[in-house]
Amino acid sequence: MRFLSLGPGEVAALLLLLLLLLFPAAAGAYQIRLATVIFMWAALAGSWNLLAGYAGAVDLGPVVYYGVGAFATAALMLRAHLPFLVSLVLAGGVAMVIAYAVGTPTLRLRGAYFAIGTLALAESAKQLALAWDRLTGIPLTGGSAGVSLPLSAGYLLFYYVMLALASLVTAAALWLGRSKFGYGLRAIGENDRLAEASGVNIHRLKRRVYVGSALLIAWTGGTAGYWLSYINASDFFGAGLTFQMVVMVLLGGLGTPFGPPLGALFLTLAAEILGTRFVYHYLIAIGVLIVAVSLFMPAGLAGVGRLLRSRRAGVQP
Amino acid sequence: MSILEVRALTKSFGSLVALDRVDLKLAEGEILGIIGPNGAGKSTLFNLIAGLERPSAGAVYYRGAAISGLTTDAVCRLGITKTFQIPQLFPRMSVLENVFVAGLYGKGVSLGPARYQAETWLEFVGLADKAAAAAETLSLPERRRLDLARVLATDARVLLLDENMAGLNQREVAASVALLRQVRDRGRSLMVIEHIMRAIADLADRVLVLNYGEKIAEGRPRDVMRDPAVIKAYLGEAYT
Ligand SMILES: Nc1ncnc2c1ncn2[C@@H]1O[C@H](COP(=O)(O)OP(=O)(O)OP(=O)(O)O)[C@@H](O)[C@H]1O
Ligand SMILES: [Mg+2]
Repeated sequence: MRFLSLGPGEVAALLLLLLLLLFPAAAGAYQIRLATVIFMWAALAGSWNLLAGYAGAVDLGPVVYYGVGAFATAALMLRAHLPFLVSLVLAGGVAMVIAYAVGTPTLRLRGAYFAIGTLALAESAKQLALAWDRLTGIPLTGGSAGVSLPLSAGYLLFYYVMLALASLVTAAALWLGRSKFGYGLRAIGENDRLAEASGVNIHRLKRRVYVGSALLIAWTGGTAGYWLSYINASDFFGAGLTFQMVVMVLLGGLGTPFGPPLGALFLTLAAEILGTRFVYHYLIAIGVLIVAVSLFMPAGLAGVGRLLRSRRAGVQP
Repeated sequence: MSILEVRALTKSFGSLVALDRVDLKLAEGEILGIIGPNGAGKSTLFNLIAGLERPSAGAVYYRGAAISGLTTDAVCRLGITKTFQIPQLFPRMSVLENVFVAGLYGKGVSLGPARYQAETWLEFVGLADKAAAAAETLSLPERRRLDLARVLATDARVLLLDENMAGLNQREVAASVALLRQVRDRGRSLMVIEHIMRAIADLADRVLVLNYGEKIAEGRPRDVMRDPAVIKAYLGEAYT
């Protein structure tokens, strides 16, 4: 039995975590900021991977919970005058409730229908967020002007919170690789009808991982909002964030625990080197990379293609 | 009391009546053969019992309690599950993991026992040497045995086997018949769809014949196979 022992990858990850805990002592502000960005993307991409990589559900609306987390955290800090970390935890609860309500019907959609449904949902969420204050009279999102937060408590806090989130997400993926829950999800991802016929309550398991992933994304969004000290609905509900999560996971390795952090590291550094002056080159480079990866390392991208293609509704004979 | 009872079970697909008011009873420990021409509604009967499809009318009872309306996974955990006419698997999991998942969720045991029991069932169906192989690398006969190991691991008491011997050669069919007898001896009740008459004659305690969704005969194998209506509908002149 190796359920309790650590594999070499996990030992390496723990050592890396130890180094990263000490990293700020040796690094300058720029390196710390860059590392924080990488952790943020590792947490987001890793959260997306929990659902897509394990349960095989391609969610194109994860950004909903990023926005919910950011605005709920901001509202709790600004209106209820709660401390940041308390607000963040509570905002996670808000996201979980919404994810439960949204996931219950949408997770019954299969394959491309789920992808399209969640994409439409994210766009609607953005429009709703933009119109919220005007429609409800309750100030929350600041419409298109957005919301400003108090200037934050220095960059070290964000470094450690984002590191904690990235670690939590990676640990969750590692746990899925060896737990009963994870085996159930993988069964769903590989053949949901057979999983159901083998006794797996596929709707309950998918909803659990969807709600869990929404929680982690909301915490990341809440932290990012306070870090930037300015949030607006167009950015925080923007499909571009979803696109980046997906690209990072596909580049790093779908359904693997260390794929998302690797994808996040790679793309963030690429954007840092190529992106600030050559935004368009950066986007083209990503496109070329994706094509190259799918051509030369088909296994890296095969997962999603297979997911989108193979899910025909209907009962197997 | 019979372990499974089906009353006036009916399924329509649009104007096509795939299953038409079928009644049947399965006794505990019994092996019931289901035969009939292609499109007779055999697989549809299994899908309705196992909860993969909703009946248009009629009901299914397990140990006396109505189970119509339950989802497939709930029916499985309750004690009824099926194999698939086109054998299904979790392609990129190992052969062992395929069976392991069924133990974890169908039977509801934890990781340790599920692994041990999966190994035992693989040995039982003769796939122990393939335990570590990716399931998608198995041949068709091996996939059918894996499907059998999987349903056994769920611990369901009623197993619905949909053409689990199709594509096997004579020797493999004989081995499969012997294996299914052992399955029954381990406390399972079986419904078996087969086109191989020799296997049905050897294996089944009773046979039920479907034709265009209707039950046209039911009884001991040798009686049913002499029934003129059955010969006309299914077995054909060549058989007599
Ligand atoms: N989902 C479905 N939608 C429409 N028609 C269906 C569906 N499933 C089955 N049928 C039809 O119902 C009838 C019964 O099909 P079923 O698969 O139960 O037959 P069968 O007895 O298992 O045949 P075979 O020996 O070929 O496996 C057939 O005419 C089939 O085309
Ligand atoms: Mg059939």
